[in-house]
Amino acid sequence: MTQRNLLIDSELCVGCQACEIACKQEHNLPVGPRWIRVVQVGPRPAGGRLVMSFHPTRCMNCGKPPCVDACPEGAITKRADGNVLINEALCTGCMACIEACPFDAPQFNQETNTVGMCTLCAHRTDYGLMPACSLACPTGAIQFGEINSLIEKKRAERAARTLSRI
Amino acid sequence: MAIELDALLRQQMEPTGLYGQAEAEVVRTVCQSCHCGCGVLVHLREGRIIKIEGNPEHPLNEGIICPKGMTSWQVVYHPDRLKYPLKRAGARGENRWQRISWDEALDTIAEKLKDILKTDGPMAIAGTFGGKPTRIRNAMHSLINSLGSPNSGYSDASFCWGPYPVAEVNTYGGYTFTEMNADARNSNCIIVWGGNPTQSHPTYGRLISNARARGAKLVVVDPRFTAIASKADVWLQVRPGTDAALALGMLNVIINEGLYDKEFVDRWCLGFEELKERVQQYPVEKVAEITWVPAEDIVRVARMYASTRPATIYARVAVETHLDSTQGMRALACLVAVTGNIDVKGGNVFSVYPRGFYSFHGQRRKWWREKANGDAEQEQRLGAREFPLLCGPNSPIGSPHPTTMVRSVLTGKPYPIKAWFVANNLLLCLPNSSEVYQALKKVDFLVVWELFMTPTAQLADIILPAAHWLETNNIMDAYSNYIAARPRAIEPVGEAWDEMKIVFEILDRVGKEFCYFPARNADEYDDNRLKGLGMTFNDLKEMTVLSAPIPYKRYEQEGFQTPSGKVELYSGTFEKYGYDPLPHYVEPKPGPVSTPELARDYPLVLTTGAIRVSYMHSEGRAIPWLRELAPDPEIEIHPDTAAQLGIRQGDWVWIETPNVDGRIKQKARLTSGIDSRVVCCEAHWWFPEKPAPDYGHWEVNINKMLSGDPTPTETGTIVLRGLLCRIYKAEEN
Ligand code: SF4
Ligand code: SF4
Repeated sequence: MTQRNLLIDSELCVGCQACEIACKQEHNLPVGPRWIRVVQVGPRPAGGRLVMSFHPTRCMNCGKPPCVDACPEGAITKRADGNVLINEALCTGCMACIEACPFDAPQFNQETNTVGMCTLCAHRTDYGLMPACSLACPTGAIQFGEINSLIEKKRAERAARTLSRI
Repeated sequence: MAIELDALLRQQMEPTGLYGQAEAEVVRTVCQSCHCGCGVLVHLREGRIIKIEGNPEHPLNEGIICPKGMTSWQVVYHPDRLKYPLKRAGARGENRWQRISWDEALDTIAEKLKDILKTDGPMAIAGTFGGKPTRIRNAMHSLINSLGSPNSGYSDASFCWGPYPVAEVNTYGGYTFTEMNADARNSNCIIVWGGNPTQSHPTYGRLISNARARGAKLVVVDPRFTAIASKADVWLQVRPGTDAALALGMLNVIINEGLYDKEFVDRWCLGFEELKERVQQYPVEKVAEITWVPAEDIVRVARMYASTRPATIYARVAVETHLDSTQGMRALACLVAVTGNIDVKGGNVFSVYPRGFYSFHGQRRKWWREKANGDAEQEQRLGAREFPLLCGPNSPIGSPHPTTMVRSVLTGKPYPIKAWFVANNLLLCLPNSSEVYQALKKVDFLVVWELFMTPTAQLADIILPAAHWLETNNIMDAYSNYIAARPRAIEPVGEAWDEMKIVFEILDRVGKEFCYFPARNADEYDDNRLKGLGMTFNDLKEMTVLSAPIPYKRYEQEGFQTPSGKVELYSGTFEKYGYDPLPHYVEPKPGPVSTPELARDYPLVLTTGAIRVSYMHSEGRAIPWLRELAPDPEIEIHPDTAAQLGIRQGDWVWIETPNVDGRIKQKARLTSGIDSRVVCCEAHWWFPEKPAPDYGHWEVNINKMLSGDPTPTETGTIVLRGLLCRIYKAEEN
């Protein structure tokens, strides 16, 4: 089956956090869990100047997801389209997945006592709509779709961008 | 932040499922959680807002909105919203209140006003406001002017949206440095000068990102390595307070290398030879020494700006808060002019309105001009004598001078203010909070219009609950070339009122007419503003926006709106008033150069006023999702400086200045994005969750540490950037 995911271009991201709030709004999340979270790297010196970049981190929908193996309840599954989803009804809030994930993607929710994470807005994307974060992003940094064609497109786009600056 | 509060708010918000499809109702309106005015779609279910998203058809934001816009419903439904008029039931600041009816509130106010009108005259009535998400600008000016007083205006007029209109209007007859007029969309070279748009004006940040993606050049002038600076071709890390020198140095390069637009200058500019002579005082090496910006970068940016057409300068509040802000802004205006970038597509473009429509400010200016005795009355405005270009009849903004007003309350000079309507968190938003506090405590009669209880509202005699932009009709009239209806999405919560309704009710009781044009109530007011277009508010509501074609180069038909009809590089008006008719630079004082002895005790250069995307001035700290993104006030410190002082990331740090006794503290954020000789504090902090009446602001608000003395310059600026301070680790870490 075609694999669908988010493709994030940190060259475009300006760290405005619109995606974070759009995600909270879409999933009605309390203060605490941040299913997408913008991580700032830098500023640090590189090649005689300062550089800084912003990285919206969220569930990567790993090929071999360690969270799936870690969950004692079998609450986490990877769907055929690649989307790794937590079944809240089975989750006991033991946080084993939080330990296992290298990206800090699963987030504990104090209100529900369960762990949740980016669902790729399955309730929207399964019906042909775009994920909330991608719609909210002012720079087009977040794209959603079939991952290989997204990567192809991104290569071309980046090349064009680089050329326009020379 | 209180998790319970957040849960309470979200109960009102259901998961929306396939949004955009199943909602009962969607209201198209315009956001006002900052000045930008993004088009939004407000989704309602059974009369309650369940989501706010961008309107894809709106020409400004094309469907994208920012965190402040999205969370606007958390403001409206906040459990701490003021819902009823309140009367003080104890001493000022004792936090004892009695709920009263609107009738009682309005009668009390009217009686008081009638007394004052009789005994002291209208001048003793004043009204100030800030950038609140309501229609306070229209309401406050309407009320105060209708009562016969010229003392209404933005509470920060001398250091925000004051110096630059004065500078630009007296150069080329209009203003162009804002989001709406610095035409990034069509520009090939953008200079962001003293602003942080991706955080403070996100929708404009988007336009810059788009321009960048299509290959436009980007220059950022800022002491801080902001997100937008990290995307720039060149970042000029200027010493705080020296931007005027930088602009003059760039003019030096552009003029001496012959890179200016000769045809435009010959035909349209007055005083080029004088300017040329003046900029000889600012050779690049000297400017590099003043500004700490390497000479080759100054030359590079000057050449880039002058030789890339069209190019635009987006100059934000930073330069307005320097010692001689108006001259700094004049230097920037001269850059725009000599490169021929004024009123061209992709340059700095004058706003235009649909024929027959007046912007609120335009209407008010026209009214003052045509009013019998209008000039004489405006000459009475507080500050008009000292700062005529800012506060007098020829001011483009017609506001009183903020700290002159505070001092008139304290000293009774030149005349006392007896009744003061305050519609913002003034105590936190003006420098020298202690002085402002004294004035708010002393004034005879203080009425505060607010959405929330604040440290300022705590000092009021009467508090009036104001309706939010989601709860009132309004017309957004601050775009480049269009206007839009901003219809209400819901009825006001509790007994909050549309502020225009408050105005009409007070005027009725005092027996005064609404002054600008005939109108008897808020609905008539909105309709009559559109009369010249042959429209009503309901007609405007039917459209996303109503636009006018942008004429560009209007000067070819009409000349410039200056006394000479030309661009006045050498300002005749400045000369007439006894100011330097050519732009110049003044060294920050106190500062490391002007007061080296003082700088031994206060070794760091201080800049203030940084803001994060969550907040608009003092607003937003009570909004759960916003506060989560920015929980504490932060001071930016270079890691080397921090290491010398034993300060680590996240430590609380005390800050002291030579201006005012006392100290405040903020949390250390170590970053190599700031010069090791400079620190930067966030402004306007308070903690709504802490105890009344102060809510912790005395501990953390940097404005407490700044001087309220107006600088002896054209607009009597208050210096917020380019100061001195010392810092040390707070004990309790
Ligand atoms: S909305 Fe877009 S630009 Fe803003 S932080 Fe998220 S990914 Fe970055
Ligand atoms: S930038 Fe944000 S706060 Fe400002 S108008 Fe747009 S959505 Fe509203």
